[in-house]
Amino acid sequence: MDFKLTEEQELIRANMREFCQKYVDPIAVEIDENSRYPAEIIAKLAEMDWMGMPYPQEYGGAGLDYLTYTMVIEELSRSCAATGFTLSCHIGLASGPIYNFGTEEQKQKYLTPLCKGEHIGAFALTEPGAGTDVGAGSTTAVLDGNEYILNGTKTFTSNGPVADTFVVFAVTDKTQRANKAMSAFIVSKDAPGFKVGEHFYKMGIRASQTSEIILKDCRIPKENLLGKEGQGFKIAMQTLDNGRIGVAAQAVGIAQAALDESIKYSKERIQFGKPISKNQALQWMMADMATDISAAQFLTYNAAYLKDQGAPYTKEAAMAKVFAAEMASRHASKAVQIHGGYGYIKGFKVERLMRDAKITEIYEGTSEAQRMVIAGNILR
Amino acid sequence: MLNIIACFKWVIDHEDIKINPETHELVLDRAGYRISDYDRFAIEEAVALTEQYGGSTTAVTVGLPAAKKSLKDALARGPEKAIFINDPAFHNLEPSQTAAILAQSISNQEYDLIICGEGSGDLYAQQVGPRLAEHLNIPCASFVRKITIEGRELIAERRVDEGIEVISMPLPALVTVLPEINSPRVPGLKDTLSAAKKPVVEITASDLGQTFASCLETVEIKATTMERNCEKFGAEKDELKRFIDVLCRAGVVD
Repeated sequence: MDFKLTEEQELIRANMREFCQKYVDPIAVEIDENSRYPAEIIAKLAEMDWMGMPYPQEYGGAGLDYLTYTMVIEELSRSCAATGFTLSCHIGLASGPIYNFGTEEQKQKYLTPLCKGEHIGAFALTEPGAGTDVGAGSTTAVLDGNEYILNGTKTFTSNGPVADTFVVFAVTDKTQRANKAMSAFIVSKDAPGFKVGEHFYKMGIRASQTSEIILKDCRIPKENLLGKEGQGFKIAMQTLDNGRIGVAAQAVGIAQAALDESIKYSKERIQFGKPISKNQALQWMMADMATDISAAQFLTYNAAYLKDQGAPYTKEAAMAKVFAAEMASRHASKAVQIHGGYGYIKGFKVERLMRDAKITEIYEGTSEAQRMVIAGNILR
Repeated sequence: MLNIIACFKWVIDHEDIKINPETHELVLDRAGYRISDYDRFAIEEAVALTEQYGGSTTAVTVGLPAAKKSLKDALARGPEKAIFINDPAFHNLEPSQTAAILAQSISNQEYDLIICGEGSGDLYAQQVGPRLAEHLNIPCASFVRKITIEGRELIAERRVDEGIEVISMPLPALVTVLPEINSPRVPGLKDTLSAAKKPVVEITASDLGQTFASCLETVEIKATTMERNCEKFGAEKDELKRFIDVLCRAGVVD
């Protein structure tokens, strides 16, 4: 087994670091404070070909392997988890199912502008009454001549207020069991009957935009069905599998930032006549942080590596996600502790990291849902 | 059309340098390398000038064979090709050697302009640029903050102690540039992926047909460190006396 990164992977990671220092770090505090969508960063990401990283060049992507993509998300999230997630949602959750299940025409029409960053993508699965219980969704799609008519409300749709292209899940056959009842559709924001509903103001990842999506007799062309009717559940689950690798990478990036800040602060902060980094109590916190970050990183890279190899990775992605998310939350909180009172003040990065970390335990499958997936795999 | 040579050095990433607290020696066993920050401005300026006036940029570096890793990074930043002058013997080169090796290697190249950083990110001797110009017998302007080309003339704004000096000189010429001259672009993903396809010419010590003796000997490199004793003093007479005693004992004053 070889854990050595290629020269190219190291260089791409370094480029993303440079990108962050130049474009992301200077505004990360402000976009969090104002819950503002960083349109200028997204435009730069598009200009520099990051918006379609893992997809083939023929669709405007860069043809990168998923492992390198994972490292890029990690590095971006180290500077701003909200921007990291905006990108991983666009690439993993929205572009992913179109690439994996779309027809050639759908890919040309929808995936290409997504990869080029001309369009932003979103994934509309969650409903007010259907969170972890995906099958309880009540949005419907009915075929009417050459069009499907969609009705229902989606909630907590990441990128909802800014996206152009949505992958929407709706029930097409109520008589079927949950895993056969749903279908997936590509919905343009311009479709008649499509509306962005309430915006949510969140505790963390505040620069990532989240809203309701309201579909009222929303008409879309018949050919916007993604995959086949009844395949929706499968498409959703498979998309979440690879999305989870992105969330795990995001969590690793947050934790790494927490460690970076803790090392820097503890070496500078003098108490009792010496830097607080000389205190064993703090040394052990940071040793645990570094160890857990490495462990989470290996789990995450392993899941991405398996995906690149075409091997099953559902269990590994869930393991990476639950472990990375929980360790990020734990250690972001420890980083605030190391900073003492200053860590509790707005503008100190660790305060933002602690708020940003929490969501990784919740979205794209809660930690509990990940354990269901892992248990289901090992007890089969 | 301008043929520009941008020189760069692959240096230890200063953020990775650790210091042994007892011996004050530099601990470099886990240090990574990067293109010297100052040289990024040189590469950017070369690429920006060729974009403005037409032409092409060649990135050149001298170093150990391990510096090969720098080439993709440099090429991702815009140059069309690279010249990699490397040899296991090129260890700890001092500026006079680097300048002589560069001069020998590029003397048969066609160029209108050579751009160097104001100094390297490690030794910061600020000598390679002016020495290289001297070897090649071309005019040199150092500490340049703005370059304009008019025909075969180069107009350079130099930062000098008293202000800004504006000079003109005929091409071919050499300039060393200040960080304020530009804001280096961050390579895009496709720039990085396509860098591997750009041509690289390799030159080794034996190709140069001569050896380059050093005129300096590095005896040792040690880090300066700031140690705090956190001793506190009051403003009373006795305290001031104690303050002076402490300074004398520390050898700060006699």
